Amino acid sequence: MAGLLKRLDAFGRVVENIVLAALLSGMMLLAVGQIVLREFFDTGFAWGDELVRLAVLWLALVGSVAACRDQRHIRIDLLSPLLPEKAVKLARILVDLFAALVALVIAWHAWRYLGLEIEYQDTVLVATPAWVAHSIVPLAFALLAYRFVIGALSSAGERSR
Amino acid sequence: MIAVSIILLLLAILGAPLFAVIAASAMAGFHREDTDLMNMALEIQSIADLPFLAAIPLFTFAGYLLSESKAPARLVRVSNAVLGWMPGGLALVCLAACAFFTAFTGASGVTIIALGAILYPALQQAGYDDRFNLGLVTSSGSLGLLFAPSLPLILYGVVAEVPIDSLFLAGILPGLAMLVLLGGYSLWVNRQHRRPLGEFSWRETGAALREAVWELPLPFVVLGGIYSGFFAVSEAAAITALYVLLVEVLILREIAWRELPHVVRQSMVLVGGILLILGVSLASTNYMIGAGVPQMLFEYVQGLVSSQLSFLLLLLVFLLILGAILDIFSAIVLVVPLILPLAAGYDVHPVHLGIVFLAAMQLGYLTPPVGLNLFIASYRFEKPIMHVYAATLPFLLILLLSVVLIAFLPGLSLGLVPKG
Repeated sequence: MAGLLKRLDAFGRVVENIVLAALLSGMMLLAVGQIVLREFFDTGFAWGDELVRLAVLWLALVGSVAACRDQRHIRIDLLSPLLPEKAVKLARILVDLFAALVALVIAWHAWRYLGLEIEYQDTVLVATPAWVAHSIVPLAFALLAYRFVIGALSSAGERSR
Repeated sequence: MIAVSIILLLLAILGAPLFAVIAASAMAGFHREDTDLMNMALEIQSIADLPFLAAIPLFTFAGYLLSESKAPARLVRVSNAVLGWMPGGLALVCLAACAFFTAFTGASGVTIIALGAILYPALQQAGYDDRFNLGLVTSSGSLGLLFAPSLPLILYGVVAEVPIDSLFLAGILPGLAMLVLLGGYSLWVNRQHRRPLGEFSWRETGAALREAVWELPLPFVVLGGIYSGFFAVSEAAAITALYVLLVEVLILREIAWRELPHVVRQSMVLVGGILLILGVSLASTNYMIGAGVPQMLFEYVQGLVSSQLSFLLLLLVFLLILGAILDIFSAIVLVVPLILPLAAGYDVHPVHLGIVFLAAMQLGYLTPPVGLNLFIASYRFEKPIMHVYAATLPFLLILLLSVVLIAFLPGLSLGLVPKG
């Protein structure tokens, strides 16, 4: 079980890195390409700007899933320096479960919204179905929920040891 | 509702991820108003509706690349050649180099790691007092926040819907004021053990400039491009990122290909953390505006203060407390939408407000209990955190003075901004 989780973790990390690198380099090249087309050829892709902005959304969400794995989410964390070690671990489990719950609720409602977009045949980028572009929202929040549960479990595991 | 707020607050100070706290409060609000929670998805998706936001991942990536290369060493060499001959010159070198580097890397703590590692031992070797060195390097780590193209400036522009090029101009004089005050203090402190005037060497300056020839065009590309109207901020960021990538990986070969995924990940983890909070804050802001929170806030504050002067004073106190508990990025996306209408009610220009906001938040990097720079410096230089607090205190007071000046002299921020 632990071995499987470990391999899953390594696999997820590689997938995140590949997706992040692809999004970032795609966004960079598209933005530079737009400038070249505009300044030298007086043309450009009508959807170029929109695609760059969608890439930002994807980068933000995939980046936040990666941040979860690296435990780099922004926290205030005023109390933990003052609490005893045991209480800190308990608090850690509590807040991670809370974050998982919040992420799960958002994932669920984003999933419902996706269904609505399919039903109404919303489009982005001229004629692309909007749900394709927005599918990252429920997916990323579901992954966030999963990662926070794993985080809480591993804190709990440390405690019993 | 109050019970929910208290529970959320408790969870926040227990260390719950900030995005979850903000999202939960927004959803509680939506729920109470019978708004479908699908709105949450809609608000998060609207990250893709904000203009210029692409500048944030692109500049962050460029900044991380620069800090992983040998660019910090080259930057220190150039500043040293230009400023190092003066008495107390090395302290000035530290201030100038850090400010420049922070502007390009966006005040995420990389400055202390990248430049501090070079400057701190150099200052020690030159015989400066250790306490002074520690304070100087720690407080320099967030200096330059007000200079273009720093991330907080861009984020404020996006959130407050203020032209980003105006903000870039507005930051120049206040940023210089901070530099001058800190520089003056550094020279004054070291007046006792004055070293002989060094010699300015054209040869060393030339060599240092030649070595940095690839990085030197960067500020001109970024700022020149934006002000000549060739490209928008986000496009300047794309060019900067591509240029830095080509230079450091292909031309200078200081970053190996196999290190790139690591650099991408590190920078995008930071960006993801910030933009996720932005996304959920869009929801909470929308809920609060719908519920009339800004008006209530305005009426409440009007009961407290009547003049612009006293409003600014109240604002400063509030921002200093805010900066002590919240990081600069979260503070911008969460608080700016609420105080913008408030400031407008007291005739405070949104550009001026932005500069005051960021300048005050910069102090947050140095104030206990959660000042990021304090922790990074303590960790990096292996000093107890209390020792770093104490060493940074005089610098903190000087920065506080500069923030007061910036707040009450709007001309500093607005002097260079074209009226429009």
